[in-house]
Amino acid sequence: MLFYTLLAAIVVIAAIFLTPLKQKVWVATGVVATLALAAISIAIKALVEGSVHLCSFSTQLFGEESFAVDKLSALFLIIISIASVAVVLYSRGYLEGYLKRYAEAHISMHYTALVMLVASMMFVVMSSGGFSFLFAWELMTIASFILIPFEAERQETRRAALNYLVMMHIGFIFLVIGFVLVANVTGSANFVAIVDYFKLAKPLPLFIIMFIGFGMKAGLFPMHIWLPEAHPAAPSHVSAIMSGVMIKTGVYGIMRLMQAIDHNIELLYSIGLIVLLAGIVTGLWGVILAAMQNDIKRLLAYSSIENIGVILIGLGIAAVGHAAGSNLIGMCGMCGALLHTVNHSLFKTMLFLSAGNIYSKLHTTAMNEMGGLAKYMPVTAILMLFATVAICALPPLNGFVSELLIYIGMFNGVSDGHEVLYSIAGIIALSLIGGIVVLAFTKLYGVVFLGSPRSHHVAESTEVDNLRIGAMAIPAVFILTIGLFPQYAIRPIAVVAEAITGADKSIAVDHFAPTLGALSATCWVLLAIILLLYALKHKLQSNRKIESGPTWGCGFTATNTRMQYTGESFSEGLESIGRPLMKDTIDGRAVDKSEIFPLAHKYRIRHNDKVDSLLGQLWVKLMHAINEYVMRLRTGRVNNYITFALVFFVLVLILTLVGIL
Amino acid sequence: MLVKLLNTVIMLVVALSITGVINRTRAICAGRKGIRFFQHIYNVRLQLRKGSVYSTTTTALFRIAPTVYLGATLLAFLFIPVADLEPLLSFHGDIIFVAYLLALSRVAIILAAMDTGSSFEGMGAAREALYGALVEPALMMGMATLALFCGYSSFADIFATAQEMSVNITVVMLLVAYVFVVIMIIESGRVPVDDPKTHLELTMIHEVMCLDYSGVDMALIHIAGWLKNAIFAVIAANAVAVILSFNWWFAAPLAILATGVTVGLLESFRARNKLSRNITFILTIVAMSALVLLTGFLLIQNIEI
Repeated sequence: MLFYTLLAAIVVIAAIFLTPLKQKVWVATGVVATLALAAISIAIKALVEGSVHLCSFSTQLFGEESFAVDKLSALFLIIISIASVAVVLYSRGYLEGYLKRYAEAHISMHYTALVMLVASMMFVVMSSGGFSFLFAWELMTIASFILIPFEAERQETRRAALNYLVMMHIGFIFLVIGFVLVANVTGSANFVAIVDYFKLAKPLPLFIIMFIGFGMKAGLFPMHIWLPEAHPAAPSHVSAIMSGVMIKTGVYGIMRLMQAIDHNIELLYSIGLIVLLAGIVTGLWGVILAAMQNDIKRLLAYSSIENIGVILIGLGIAAVGHAAGSNLIGMCGMCGALLHTVNHSLFKTMLFLSAGNIYSKLHTTAMNEMGGLAKYMPVTAILMLFATVAICALPPLNGFVSELLIYIGMFNGVSDGHEVLYSIAGIIALSLIGGIVVLAFTKLYGVVFLGSPRSHHVAESTEVDNLRIGAMAIPAVFILTIGLFPQYAIRPIAVVAEAITGADKSIAVDHFAPTLGALSATCWVLLAIILLLYALKHKLQSNRKIESGPTWGCGFTATNTRMQYTGESFSEGLESIGRPLMKDTIDGRAVDKSEIFPLAHKYRIRHNDKVDSLLGQLWVKLMHAINEYVMRLRTGRVNNYITFALVFFVLVLILTLVGIL
Repeated sequence: MLVKLLNTVIMLVVALSITGVINRTRAICAGRKGIRFFQHIYNVRLQLRKGSVYSTTTTALFRIAPTVYLGATLLAFLFIPVADLEPLLSFHGDIIFVAYLLALSRVAIILAAMDTGSSFEGMGAAREALYGALVEPALMMGMATLALFCGYSSFADIFATAQEMSVNITVVMLLVAYVFVVIMIIESGRVPVDDPKTHLELTMIHEVMCLDYSGVDMALIHIAGWLKNAIFAVIAANAVAVILSFNWWFAAPLAILATGVTVGLLESFRARNKLSRNITFILTIVAMSALVLLTGFLLIQNIEI
């Protein structure tokens, strides 16, 4: 098995490196599409039959391990497949402009890493745990590390990539510790062994260690700081796959842990609280900072953090409800969390790809240099509007369905008297998140696509090629389907939720099917009403005079495009609330009130994460201090080094004699 | 079916009358004769017969937005029962659906305002987005309080189950009603959050967003505003009706009078907040709704407080 995998890998890499420059994308597309088709067919089989066993092998470290697809893996395989195909298709148009700029090997390397990332994510969700899991996890990190610094000549790109690599390895160490602990107690280190571990040893420390490990990938507060650095640095299709899918592997790990705890009610309860709290903090932190950002991709990165928060709120409510004895709440929360994972992978992929369209035409992601793009890139504008409505969780699209399920769980908690306080906390957090998301994304859409152009680059931009539009339409189809037919979309989700929580899926089907059926019907009614009103309006206006003129300037006739509301001014009101979370870096000087005839000013503000400066810079300073000390040992003289070696051996000898080693 | 129609008709009456009551109250307080009770309807009828001017900056989104705004509000409106009457539409979880429909209508109008590229409208849009975001938890908690006492999560079920309520709970319900009236004031941009009666340019939130709309579009926006007011007014009246008299002929006049007179009085005797005070004002309501919810919870648990 190992042999064939390696052989396949070598063939794929050779194919990518050997094909001519323009054809590389098709090789990558072919490989990813094949993987995706295989994954989806296995996933469907697993959803129907329960599980599909692929292969087993024994490792020296942790014993017997296997690659198998159960229902949870199946769901994630589907998520990975859809997004990967869209992203690889998209990459052709996006990278076209770079083909001449970079060496051929650079492009080959990029595609190799892209295929490797897709494959490794699939291996991650199929692995039974232990060594193969860690191997795939590490492969995933390395592949994405190669993908991020595509434009390696930019300094911030290299910085972000290194930052990412370091943070991922801190998370990786936590996972290694976790699996070693499990192996110590139970003899093997797969996810099934964790069930035994939770019965045999103290469960909470292990959970927290693994939670941190997975949370690093998922972008949990306060480990989220790599996301807003890495996503703007990476090429847009890479951000799309990383934000849409890769961070979900962290969520996958957390779900696996929850699946393992299922039998221990007391533990489930305390873990539910931890997850809920983490979700609330992550969600609120993410959304407030998202609303404050003035860079499209940073905003989207923070919004990913917020969505992970929402997923965790769902998971937390599910665990707490389940522990309190209400299978209904458990099912609501779990279905909501799972569906939101699917949904977020769809609309976030679309949003990042839209950002890619903009970047490839304007060569910037700074919102305040845009405006009025809808006129120059109409299709991108429509697709982005679509994704915006979806991510704001507005009916009739899919984001609303998953949040509705989580809300129903919490409202049930309130009205049935199960864990009322936690439900209330969840409701407050989720509604506040929902409100501020609207602010963040109306800001994004309004400043970028609407109004009039703030720079001449906008007026020179044109719509992107059709293949890119087509690639973005793939997730759009799923968004629309889930949004308009939620009663069918919930069925596979309920099957997976049953596998995780152990609660009977009939609860979900009986309870949600009428609600979601009614929701679906009402969404159609909504569309019908809007259409009808539009027709009515059209009819009323048909024999009236319709004129066009300039925007009303309230008597002021010399308006120009610089007077429009910018991204910074749009979120100014939120600043008083978000202030404690941020540390600003200001470039230039704002216009002072005393300047009656102000000259040209340059003013650039960037809202940095306070955690970033607290955690990130503290570590860097510490490392610097340690390094400075250690570097004194590096004298450059061979005789010194030999002395060090001698000292080391003597030390080992003494320690052995004393009996410490 | 007849009950459902009756409910919709009553809701419409409430929607059409509230503005009239507000105007009449203001007129009486100012010692004026005042305009006709249904003058606002005549105004809208006039607008429906007019042509429109569209800014050249705008895109198709600007023309679709008013229909989305009214459409979403109208659909939300159809979910609201008057006391124990059955609404036209209802399903389990519709309280969340209604809240998000209102959010959809808000997004439509905010984006339309941004589409004009006007700094005034951008200003209004930014504030509407912020206030909408902050008021959302108050709305949800108000609904959660209702769900806590009545045990259901659809409007029809909440208000269809008359329950034995102790005196303590009366206070909680009155406070819930208060919260909803204030939410209505915030959502429709009235005094003390904003003043719709000033010159449009000075009206900093709600009205300023529709500066570039005229004719039919403006009429649609006005109608949506009435429906929105009716939604909150009727929920507030229902919360009171749950404890006092559980009949539509009690709840409907209450919805018109209580909210109409309150808003009218506020507009006559209170000045608009300084804009920076508005966030505090809204957060106070959020805190209050949280307090109401917790008090309700403690009462349900029979804890002495």
